[in-house]
Amino acid sequence: MAHDKRPLSPHIQIYRPQLTSVLSISHRVTGIALIVGALLLVSWLLAAAAGPQAYSSVQGFMRSWLGLLLMLGWTFSLFFHLCNGIRHLVWDAGYGFELGTIYASGWTVVAASTALTVTAWFSSFVVMG
Amino acid sequence: MFIRSSNQLPSVTALKRFPVPRNFNVSTESRIERGKTWHAPADATRVKKFEIYRYDPDSGQNPRIDTYEVDLDTCGPMVLDALITIKNEIDPTLTFRRSCREGVCGSCSMNIDGTNWLACTRFISDTAEPATIYPLNHLRVIKDLVPDLTQLFAQYSLIEPWLQTTTPEPEKERLQSPEDRGKVDGFYECILCFCCTSGCPSHWWNGDRFLGPAVLLQSYRWLIDSRDEAAGDRLDDLEDPFRLYRCHTILNCTRTCPKQLNPGKAIAAIKKMIVQRTS
Amino acid sequence: MDGQRMRSPLGRARGLGSAREGVEHWWMQRVTAVALIPLTLWFAASLIALTGSDYNAFIAWLKAPFVAILMVLLLIALFHHTALGLPVIVEDYVHSDQAKIPTVVAIRLVCFALVVVGIFATVRIAFGD
Repeated sequence: MAHDKRPLSPHIQIYRPQLTSVLSISHRVTGIALIVGALLLVSWLLAAAAGPQAYSSVQGFMRSWLGLLLMLGWTFSLFFHLCNGIRHLVWDAGYGFELGTIYASGWTVVAASTALTVTAWFSSFVVMG
Repeated sequence: MFIRSSNQLPSVTALKRFPVPRNFNVSTESRIERGKTWHAPADATRVKKFEIYRYDPDSGQNPRIDTYEVDLDTCGPMVLDALITIKNEIDPTLTFRRSCREGVCGSCSMNIDGTNWLACTRFISDTAEPATIYPLNHLRVIKDLVPDLTQLFAQYSLIEPWLQTTTPEPEKERLQSPEDRGKVDGFYECILCFCCTSGCPSHWWNGDRFLGPAVLLQSYRWLIDSRDEAAGDRLDDLEDPFRLYRCHTILNCTRTCPKQLNPGKAIAAIKKMIVQRTS
Repeated sequence: MDGQRMRSPLGRARGLGSAREGVEHWWMQRVTAVALIPLTLWFAASLIALTGSDYNAFIAWLKAPFVAILMVLLLIALFHHTALGLPVIVEDYVHSDQAKIPTVVAIRLVCFALVVVGIFATVRIAFGD
């Protein structure tokens, strides 16, 4: 029938990205990035339990440029998912649904995650000396 | 940047659309092609371009984008006025739903410049150049800007949007205090334009099972109506991983509602009600 | 969906009816999220404090009962949160039962296995040497 041939109107191809949808998909993407981090955590613990040689090879990877890049991505993902997660918990409690608050809290999450990431890396360099 | 109300237009545009190829993962019958351009008469002074999604079911061809140049001196101030001018004076085959022309019937909902709104309450001066007009998202298109809303209305009837009581009818009216009547404010005003539902990514991917913001907002309208006695049954029907819990609080719905309603808030309240009855 | 062309729209929308469940999943996702707020902050702070330290320093740190307990709690909360959240992502985008169900089952089993591995490694270090 002609009904089967009806085209589907465009959606993600033309819908305007807004703070609402962008932060939401970022929450999902950072969540997936953190799963990769969780796998790394478990392998790190396993390597430490296995002994100094296994540990130093994992440590060596973490110090490589690829490892540091992953760590940067992971720390930002952690802080973003954490801050936006708290924003989600506030929504789940029933607060913060006025559009003005949605936008203000959204930008706060972006600023806070960036600030926390910068602070973490800066502190890390300070500790290293 | 800081949006306080859904009728506020964004001041900055970082991205007009998600960085996805235009016809990515689009089935062959849905691929959009280039259409024709209808030029304004030579003596027109204030000319505005409208790029409008066209689809003719009788032609056997794919959808296309036609560009219309409209002389704004011959046309009213709203996007709907432009569509009517195009239909009356330029191309009578342009097809769209409209009725009240004052933002209360919900007929002329469509995607204007990337977000969903009513054409009759969107000023032409608030649109981009060229203005891009598409039908509501992720719906089968019957013709041009007319989407098939059958499934959305079926989902609406699924929630049984009427007063359900077991207490026999009183002699006169069922009593309700002004405070209780106030609880329904912000929810009864929905005109079922479906701007919110068709703008919800979760409904795009799971629209066959997820009820969507408009229907859930109406569920909430009946849940908090103090005269209704079927809240338990309503909540039983809603508590489902897909019907309700596909909502991930994306909040595109609240951002786009042309009546400034808050479906996101209503859905969160439904989830709270469900938790409340477990402890 | 094509095979249901002759079904009434209401019949199609009603589908198999409401599952009448879902709040447990929603609630536990929030409970594990709340647990993860202090745990991840502790973990991030610890990582910063441990920057540049060698194998022995790391083992000495993890041997402390307080640290080992928090690490175990972190692993449990993290993988429970993941086992609840990742299948939702799969269910959102994958609709064929053939692909979806084995994937979701695999995710749950792998998360359980990983938490056991992680706890084993932590306990091994805490009680070892």
